[in-house]
Amino acid sequence: MVCDRHASGELDLYFYDELNPSDRRTVEEHLSGCSECRAALDELGVIRDALASRPDVSTPASGDWSSFMTRLNASLARPTQGVMGVIGMPMKTASRRPSVGYLAMAALLSLVTLSVALALRKPHVPAASSPTAAPVVVRHLPSAPNDGTAFRAMTEEHFERSKLVVLGLATKNPEELKASDWAYERELATGLLNDTRLYRLAAEDRGLDRLAGVMRDLELVLLQTSLTDEKDPSSIQQIQRLIRRRDLIEKMNVVTTTGL
Amino acid sequence: MSADADLISRVAGGDSSAFQTLVERHRSMVYRVAYQFAGNHHDAEDIAQDVFIKVFRSLDRFRQDAQLTSWLYRIIMNACIDHKRRSRFNANAAFGEEAEQRMLNAPEETPGPEERAYGGEIGQVLESEIGRLPKGQRIVFVMRHHQGMKLCEIAEALGLAEGTVKRQLHAAVHRLRQALRHARVTAGEGA
Repeated sequence: MVCDRHASGELDLYFYDELNPSDRRTVEEHLSGCSECRAALDELGVIRDALASRPDVSTPASGDWSSFMTRLNASLARPTQGVMGVIGMPMKTASRRPSVGYLAMAALLSLVTLSVALALRKPHVPAASSPTAAPVVVRHLPSAPNDGTAFRAMTEEHFERSKLVVLGLATKNPEELKASDWAYERELATGLLNDTRLYRLAAEDRGLDRLAGVMRDLELVLLQTSLTDEKDPSSIQQIQRLIRRRDLIEKMNVVTTTGL
Repeated sequence: MSADADLISRVAGGDSSAFQTLVERHRSMVYRVAYQFAGNHHDAEDIAQDVFIKVFRSLDRFRQDAQLTSWLYRIIMNACIDHKRRSRFNANAAFGEEAEQRMLNAPEETPGPEERAYGGEIGQVLESEIGRLPKGQRIVFVMRHHQGMKLCEIAEALGLAEGTVKRQLHAAVHRLRQALRHARVTAGEGA
């Protein structure tokens, strides 16, 4: 049998000091004669002590705030939420994990790309010699509540452009690739990187987990490409392995075929 | 003028480094609450990011006579409620009388107490159970138990009746009691 006072939650309020003095006295009187409520109160004490013994987590997993601050800085500078001043945050060069460095570079690249793209504000005309050519245009994601159709259309268009770039990267012969061709691939990848990140965040916001996952893989491939600053066969092969390991082309095909 | 109020004035005046200082002053507290709510670093970091973005974008609405920490708590709670997990869409964010029963019966899909109790770590079992609480119960429990906020303050911040918040706390504590008993039995301590 459960005591009414226990079942009503009054004991919890007593434990958390949420009762007025009069009700508090009443509960104390009750406790002196009710072993069930005393046991229930003891349980709350055990819960408090057990939770107090857990580690106090107040920093990111790396123990380093630099990537957090870089990401925050980049978010505040994002164009979809309006133009804002970028906070002058010193970027630490030392990092405990390689991914922190990549994230920092990604954020920096996004900012640089965005600045350049906003300044130019016109589509890039692809070189006729490149089979992977795709126009690079900075997009502003729809933000209205009923923007599903617009978002779908823009994402599909972005996917089509990106797929051409990924296909090009996957089929290149690293040994025969000219430095100028690689520079152009890098330019395309860098141009798509910022948009990909924005679409990935938008997909996450909309709960489109599968799409967000593919965008994340695409973002990684574009990031690696944009960071490989000169024609280097081993780096290009690494990017190609990444595309294969992540099964990126197939995933992009599935998403575009089955819909978002 | 407090240090926070001074920083906010400077941000409003265009001093971008002041916002960095403001973030540095409060990021540990924000991250701690976000982690207590989310139970993992990925979501905690997302929530903490959201909090500071919202802070930056609404600094002009901050009343200079108010405590920044109270205002921050309000933003943190709403960021936790609004947050969608990275791994999947989480739809049980609704609040209020109508949603209350649905929330009470909607556990999170993470390992339960039985699996966690294997190692006899009661604190870990309870922490895991907090992660399984519906969002409403979880945020009320975290803010009351861990952060020491009064229920009336939580109710005000979330725009709920105090009675609703009390029921959320009671439901959360009830679930934790059950987890505790289960853990004790599984660990062989006896109920």
